[in-house]
Amino acid sequence: MKPFTRTLKTLMFTGLSTLLLAGSVWAADLGSAKAQGLIGERPDGYLGLVVASAPADVRALVDDVNAKRRARYQQIARQTNAPLSEVEKVGGMTAIDKTPRGQYVMDGSGRWVRK
Amino acid sequence: MRNWKYLGLALLALLVITACNPTVKVEAPDKPIEINMNVNIRHEILVKVEKEVEQMFEDEELF
Repeated sequence: MKPFTRTLKTLMFTGLSTLLLAGSVWAADLGSAKAQGLIGERPDGYLGLVVASAPADVRALVDDVNAKRRARYQQIARQTNAPLSEVEKVGGMTAIDKTPRGQYVMDGSGRWVRK
Repeated sequence: MRNWKYLGLALLALLVITACNPTVKVEAPDKPIEINMNVNIRHEILVKVEKEVEQMFEDEELF
């Protein structure tokens, strides 16, 4: 293999590995999607779309994070002997509590409101 | 000549009035956000759950 090709392949391998090791690679990220008012926290413990027409990468991110949250909630439910539904509620309250002012949360009636 | 002066004054006044109009209104929300959660578990378990959930949301990927 020519040295140039080898260097190029090494660089590509290094680059790709770094990306993969850095964790999930998403075009959108939670912080910016929330700051843009596209997504918000729900009392049931999961992320919701404030804007139905949010971009596809944001919607995919929401699905991904919600799946991960559900897995964590299930783990906590097992560890503490609490029902999943109650753990989810605590999740919702905590997430809403932690939401900074200006970002969206869903109220008890299912409406999106700015904190 | 005098008409020009009045026109100028009128324009200046208009400019000042426009500048005084607030473009951003900052208002407190009408009422507090209402969420009624009935979490139905024993207090000692709730404390454990809260602690775990707190830790869970320290993770930037999930929050």
